[in-house]
Amino acid sequence: METYLYIALFAPLVGSLFSALFTATPKKLFTGIVGSLLIFTSLVSSTILLMYILKGGEPVHVTMMTWMATGDLYIPFGFVVDQISVTMMMVVTLVSTVVHIYSIGYMDHDKGFNRFFAWLSAFVFSMMILVMSDNYAGLFIGWEGVGLCSWGLIGFWYHKESATWAASEAFIMNRIADLGMLIGLFLVYWNTGTLQYDGAFAAFHTLDISTLTWIGIFLFIGAMGKSAQFPLHTWLADAMEGPTPVSALIHAATMVTAGVYLVIRSHELYSLIPHVGLFIASLGAFVALFAASMALVNRDMKRIIAYSTLSQLGYMFVAAGLGAYWVALFHLMAHAFFKAALFLGAGNVMHAMDDELDPFKMGGLRKKMKWTWIMMGLASLALSGIFPFAGFFSKDAILEAAFVGNHTALHVMEHHYIIYAVLLFTAGLTAFYSFRLVALIFHGEERFKLFGFHPHEAAKIMLLAIAPLVILAIIAGAFQTTFFEMVQEALNAVEYHVHSQIVVWIMTIGTQVFAISMIIFAYVKYNNSRVSVPDGTSRLENSFIYKLLFNQYYIPHFYAEYIVKPYREISEIFWTKVDLKIVDATVDGIAGIIYGTGEKTRQMQSGNLSTMLTWMVAGLVGLLSLAVVFGLTARYSDEILLFLSALGV
Amino acid sequence: MEIGLTHYLVLSTILFAIGLVGVMRRKNLLLLFFATEILLNAVNVAFAAISHYYGDMTGQMFAFFVIAIAASEVAVGLGLLIVWYKRHGSIDLDALATMKG
Amino acid sequence: MLDHILSLLIFFPALAAVVGFMIQKESMRAYGISVATIEFALSLWLWYVFDGNVSGMQFMENIPLVQSFGINYTLGVDGISLFIIILSAFFTLLGIGSLTDTPNVKYMIITLLFLQMTMVGVFAALDAIVFYIFWELSLIPMLYIIGAWGGPLRIYASVKFFLYTFTGSLVMLVGMLFMAYFYYQATGVWSFALLDWYRLILPQSYQLWLFAAFFIGFAIKVPMFPFHTWLPYAHGQAPTIGSVILAAILLKMGTYAFVRFSLPLFPDASAYFMIPIAILAVIMVIYTAMVAYAQKDIKQVIAYSSISHMGIIILGTFALNVEGISGSIFLMLGHGVVAGALFMLVGVIYDRRHTKMMSEFGGLAQVMPRYATIFGIMMMASVGMPLTINFVGEFLSLLGFYQQSHIITILAGVGIIVGAIYMLGAYKKTFFGEVTNEKNKNLPDINKKELFGLIPLVIVAIWLGVYPKPVLGPINKSVESIVQLMHNKSTTELAKKRIPNLVKPKVIIIKKTIIEEVH
Repeated sequence: METYLYIALFAPLVGSLFSALFTATPKKLFTGIVGSLLIFTSLVSSTILLMYILKGGEPVHVTMMTWMATGDLYIPFGFVVDQISVTMMMVVTLVSTVVHIYSIGYMDHDKGFNRFFAWLSAFVFSMMILVMSDNYAGLFIGWEGVGLCSWGLIGFWYHKESATWAASEAFIMNRIADLGMLIGLFLVYWNTGTLQYDGAFAAFHTLDISTLTWIGIFLFIGAMGKSAQFPLHTWLADAMEGPTPVSALIHAATMVTAGVYLVIRSHELYSLIPHVGLFIASLGAFVALFAASMALVNRDMKRIIAYSTLSQLGYMFVAAGLGAYWVALFHLMAHAFFKAALFLGAGNVMHAMDDELDPFKMGGLRKKMKWTWIMMGLASLALSGIFPFAGFFSKDAILEAAFVGNHTALHVMEHHYIIYAVLLFTAGLTAFYSFRLVALIFHGEERFKLFGFHPHEAAKIMLLAIAPLVILAIIAGAFQTTFFEMVQEALNAVEYHVHSQIVVWIMTIGTQVFAISMIIFAYVKYNNSRVSVPDGTSRLENSFIYKLLFNQYYIPHFYAEYIVKPYREISEIFWTKVDLKIVDATVDGIAGIIYGTGEKTRQMQSGNLSTMLTWMVAGLVGLLSLAVVFGLTARYSDEILLFLSALGV
Repeated sequence: MEIGLTHYLVLSTILFAIGLVGVMRRKNLLLLFFATEILLNAVNVAFAAISHYYGDMTGQMFAFFVIAIAASEVAVGLGLLIVWYKRHGSIDLDALATMKG
Repeated sequence: MLDHILSLLIFFPALAAVVGFMIQKESMRAYGISVATIEFALSLWLWYVFDGNVSGMQFMENIPLVQSFGINYTLGVDGISLFIIILSAFFTLLGIGSLTDTPNVKYMIITLLFLQMTMVGVFAALDAIVFYIFWELSLIPMLYIIGAWGGPLRIYASVKFFLYTFTGSLVMLVGMLFMAYFYYQATGVWSFALLDWYRLILPQSYQLWLFAAFFIGFAIKVPMFPFHTWLPYAHGQAPTIGSVILAAILLKMGTYAFVRFSLPLFPDASAYFMIPIAILAVIMVIYTAMVAYAQKDIKQVIAYSSISHMGIIILGTFALNVEGISGSIFLMLGHGVVAGALFMLVGVIYDRRHTKMMSEFGGLAQVMPRYATIFGIMMMASVGMPLTINFVGEFLSLLGFYQQSHIITILAGVGIIVGAIYMLGAYKKTFFGEVTNEKNKNLPDINKKELFGLIPLVIVAIWLGVYPKPVLGPINKSVESIVQLMHNKSTTELAKKRIPNLVKPKVIIIKKTIIEEVH
């Protein structure tokens, strides 16, 4: 099994290095093919490992070599394949394979084809390290690695100012969170003496609550950055500047879920500190609603999907925060499938519409792009949580988890009705914005004609690539039980104890009815001939709420105005005023005084022998008198001391 | 009144002071040399007196050294002075400021 | 030969430099490269014969110079100095190899070889006076490099560099003399040997003053805030090769000296001054990073970033535990490799355009893709990406200091954020966007001579990031002995508390294994 582990881990690296060899050369189709094949190899290996684990095999644990060892610190490159990581590996490799194949079609005309595959495979490698590492330091390698690849891929079209800006923003925002994560690691090390998961988890039980709370908080700060939780969320929407396959892979399916993975991985920590868990859940619920509200009015297709990702990440954090770790993981998986499908569908639309992103300029595309329409429709249904799609099972489980309360402290059954209500409401919003998008793009008048677009269906390879994701988005719910049984042991998962079967039915059906009615509402509103490209005149567009949502609650504006700008100004002041005018000027001042003194005293050297001799005599007298004074003091020191003591000194 | 060490030292000091004032105030190079000679001889007096006082001949030996050096100094110095006078026509100190820093 | 390998390492380049005066101008390059290659091979051989399991000094040489004052020509290496010596030989080789069309290349190479002598001398010296002599001698070739080959402000920059560091070292010299005097008072014998001094336990009040005297000398060299202002001028005016050596090796003298002198000689004072110095280090990290962000000249960005990284090194050094000190020494190497490479990279575009202003560039990724890739790798190493050399050092340094203070470490950790800001900003301005300036449209990509200097650095930066063990192991060994020495020597409560005792836990581990064996 170890061989499969290494194959799964290193195949993407090989692919990345291979493509990297050709970055400076023109497009070579085989870089894409080789890259895809290697990722597929990784997928096959992961599947073999999954089968092995499913059969009840022991987790595979290998230590490749020492990384850092000094003092008491010992960090190896260790990898573990257990129930949790194998799930993540499957998600990562599956979506990556699909995205790689899709990209062969999508990036067909791009100059940076080879470079794209180098970055993309490097990303997969980093992500595999992240999920397979058996210690926090290894996780951090992957953590930073995906950040780096995300930087390279968001800024892939580096000639675009907006793209490079978004890339820097994503990197820096993630760095802020990484600091939190790093501090979390330090706390873990100094309190438990190790960064290995098993050692640290065992030691957590002996620590006091306040230390654990701090560890939990700092690790979660790290998770907040990667998973774009409030207030570090703005980078995710801006990251949509990258190529669409990147958005599908990194900013929907894998990297952004790393934060959730971290919380799930550290479940032994978080189940000891339910109050932090409750905070995570509350923040998650807030972000779910917050992001969904921004998606309601946005006019950028990819940003709408990005906000929806944000919102779904909020859901996952609710589940993870409330101790229903397996539910979080399950939703993570299901979400990866339908969200990646949705993004890739959006990529098809962009291809057809010459990279136009405003859905108001589309409309009626279903005739031209039948398959894309079907796939995006199905993925949206899954996202909205309609039975029997994957989203239904996972989201329903989260709602139940919120309703029933925290599972880690079994004897304290708290009901979190507020969180439940927020999530329920958000589920409605999700249904609405998903189908607002579908309706605007695929239904209604063919508005694109006004703008001179000639849409066409995407290439076959792209459609074929999406298909597996759509199928999984439809059927993944069926695996719920299998999945539960698999992770049961690893995550101390428990089934719910909802009071009665009737409550469950009422809840489920109620949720379904709510979601479906929102879908219908979206259709009624946007599937008609009155829809036109907004021009900023309608009453709705001038309402306060619309403006607030459209400007993302003015948070990016706030950041730009009150953080980025002052930072730049302070830097400027530090340089021109402090460094040059104070610190350096002091040094130069001292040098100047010495130099000036020299300038002044050189007047003494008048050249007139008589004056010089006078100075010589003066110096002689000065030195002589000094000698006399010191001599006398040395001779009469006792008397002087006596005299001074008499004076009371 | 026995003439003792103190008297010699006082004489030496007075001579030294006269020489010092001469060094500072004189504007004529020739007189400056005189003043320097006075300074040196003031020290010589002190050397000889102290040497006699301790019964140690080193001081007197030193005095001879000083006399020898003073003599050679005057020889070199007067030579230079004559050259200077030939070239500039004056041995006034105030006119002699080529070493101005 | 093994007994004198250190002397050989020191004086071979000097001798070769003297011979170099007689070499023809045309063949000077080849001569320089071969001398530097032999020197580098010697240093690698030193590594090969170095016993990594010994914590003390190896290859010691001892020749009495002034016996009545205990001044000896004493040399030796341990895990701490070994790698810096290798690094200096490495950089001299790369520097000479990648020299581009410099005027008077003959004298440049001779100067570099002299510089190489002083660098190895500083890191191998175990006698305070010998150390001091090499320390001061190293200023002269550098002064010459900046003053003779520098930019328009070269005279100002070189004089400032010389006088500033020289003033500091004079204070240090006074400290050394006092130290020897105290040793004389305590034992009745004069000695300037470092290993003798290690055994001397001073009362805290003496330690504080001596520490301060040494501190001024070292801090200016590092350079620590607020003594850093000579560095941007020196880097700004120095030719590429000067900046590379300055950043890669010369700055490390200061931090190395902290580990070699300040910590083991004055453990109580080190513990006493730990927090104030850490605060200075934090200011260095954040403040200079912000100043770096405001720069318009890409070389100045890297110059200020050097100061910022030195802050982390200082922080790690004053963590006073094995993790922190090992990390700081590793970061010295890491920063040497990365900053050296970045200065070389700046030299590449300077050679092509004769300007370093970022506003003159933009979109270079399109014109010079290979160059952009190498710059990108080095930039990421500079911001501390895991699996690159800098991360190991930064991680361990911060980890080490976290044991001492949470708040200060968090503040210093802000460095990883602000570091990313200025580096990404500079990269974006230089490489991204459209090519707007006509002059940049046809810039040739990086050539073979430049690759000769850069590729080895890229390999080292990644190799030691992935597998730091061969270097970290010997470092760790020597650092452990220093920390233990400090703990044993310290007299105050505070120092005992802050400097961990390594002996005790080991005993427990031994017991554990015994118990396991019994079971």
